[in-house]
Amino acid sequence: MRAKDHDTPRSRRPTRGLASLLNGLTLVGIGIVLLDFFFTGRVDQYLHPQFRPFTLVAGIIFCVIGVVYGAAKPSARCCLDGECVHENATNPLRSVIAILVLFAPLVAGVALSKDSYDQRAVLNRGFVQDITKLPMRANTVETGAQSSQATSSEAVSEPLPQDTPIGSATNDSANPAAPDSGDGSAQYLPKAPDGNVALEVTDLLYAEQEESLRKIVDGKTIEVVGQYLPAEDAKQFKLVRMFIVCCAADARPVALPVEAAEQIHAPEMGWIKVTGKATFTQSEDRTHVVMKADKIESVEPPAEAMLY
Amino acid sequence: MSWFTFSWQNFLFSFLALAFEGLPFVLVGSLVSGAIAAFVPSRIITGVLPKNGFLATLASGLLGLCFPVCECGIVPVVRRLINKGLPLSCGITFMLASPIVNPIVAFSTFAAFRSQAPWLNLGIRLGFGYLVAVLAGLAVRHLSPKEILREGAVKIVSRKRLAFQISPLPDATSSDLESSFTQKLVAAVRMTCDDFIDTAIYFMMGAAVAATFNTAVDQQIILPLALDPILSTIAMMAIAMVLTLCSTSDAFIAATFVSFPLFSRMAFMVFGPMFDLKLFFLYSVLFKKRFVVCLGIGLFIGIGIISSRFLNLLYASQGP
Repeated sequence: MRAKDHDTPRSRRPTRGLASLLNGLTLVGIGIVLLDFFFTGRVDQYLHPQFRPFTLVAGIIFCVIGVVYGAAKPSARCCLDGECVHENATNPLRSVIAILVLFAPLVAGVALSKDSYDQRAVLNRGFVQDITKLPMRANTVETGAQSSQATSSEAVSEPLPQDTPIGSATNDSANPAAPDSGDGSAQYLPKAPDGNVALEVTDLLYAEQEESLRKIVDGKTIEVVGQYLPAEDAKQFKLVRMFIVCCAADARPVALPVEAAEQIHAPEMGWIKVTGKATFTQSEDRTHVVMKADKIESVEPPAEAMLY
Repeated sequence: MSWFTFSWQNFLFSFLALAFEGLPFVLVGSLVSGAIAAFVPSRIITGVLPKNGFLATLASGLLGLCFPVCECGIVPVVRRLINKGLPLSCGITFMLASPIVNPIVAFSTFAAFRSQAPWLNLGIRLGFGYLVAVLAGLAVRHLSPKEILREGAVKIVSRKRLAFQISPLPDATSSDLESSFTQKLVAAVRMTCDDFIDTAIYFMMGAAVAATFNTAVDQQIILPLALDPILSTIAMMAIAMVLTLCSTSDAFIAATFVSFPLFSRMAFMVFGPMFDLKLFFLYSVLFKKRFVVCLGIGLFIGIGIISSRFLNLLYASQGP
């Protein structure tokens, strides 16, 4: 096979080598960013667990092919005769553009991103306060109650039994926190060290749909962790968690209304733990939950900030 | 609250999420493209398709079933296949159909709609996606490749080949056959890298635009449109265009828009994988801007009409 650019003048070969080097470095740089995000755990804030391994694999591949690309002789053929579609492959300007468009935004993003949304994104997307409006996978709400144990360093309760019956007949979401009978089922609810029931925002919204779960949590002191979103009334706010299907770009804010006895002082979208009791009121079309807070305290973000 | 409130924090978070999710898939597409270029002779590409152009277009819409490539990775593969002798109409049909008519999407659609007539919705999505892709491919048969393809994106050796006659490019010369596996591997890597750079530049621009719309625009303004058949369909396709979801998971999002009728959600699931903000830029790797705009408008109108007129009736005939 003839190399595509056998006839390239000698004067162009240094720029061709420079282009290859820059392209190779760009690819290696992208690989390093992906690997850094994976190994530092920051990727957990961005992607659903199913997509995270791709970051690792892609990071490795980027590094390998970047090294091969940069190290291979610039005179090595690019494409077969008559098939080459990379007219500007040896142009250093293209390599500079690649750095500016591919590598620089990633590095800038990694350096500047706070790994979370602020209040404006939540308001623009609108709240989900009806659990039936969320994408329901088999493990959707399962992760809810259980992740409070898995992600919170404070929670040490027993895991829910895997064969716990699925709750609702009206929608097919599965929630191990919603056993099919009320008596004795409360023992399966996840507990915090202080004995309170540790639930997720989605669990309480699910309870709106599930009478047996409402009976279980009724009267019990509950702990819920989420992000603080103020309302017009200083004693009311929403406890928000972001629910994702594949990545943070599709995150939908799930909001639990909370009422407090006193005015709340917390940073917008700051992580708080609300301790109190869930109250359920019946309106014309459905049941609504409101958390009556007895205690509100700032906490560290959970390891898994997103629900899925 | 204003309908547009930009924030760097939100933009960067959404942009990086799209980049980290999509770049591995762009890489996969580029790897496939590089491997095809280095190891697959042209005669194999063209040999598997029927010689008749119409039948070949029909067959191309089904290639995704055995060759599933999502929309992020499809462009470099299609460009390479066209260079290998695949007719343009077949390439466009494959490009539009593959992100929908493939087993992964079929599974995710079934799972997402498992409580909402899953077999019906699965069948309609795959059938609708296939139909639209084939129609687009057939429509392209009557256009000149020069009007469609971006200059330099494809090496036009034979006008006849691109003018929808299936004839493979001349295969490797005798010296090709003597190339060692290592040489071919290095060539494949170089082509993978160049394909990736070409494609990813556009992907990143699309991700940036999508992240801006995704976080800065008040999406609540669209929701009141759900009550009207036409407006709800337009709204869902607009949402699909802005959200730039991956076709493997968009059904889970579509299933949750319960205030919107099923036919408009189907428009969301067919239009989104074929054309969104990210794809607008990705398609520009291969096609002229004017064609990309026309393709987007054509898909928008075609899918909108079929959804709001015909699927509407189909779903209505199925009862509540």
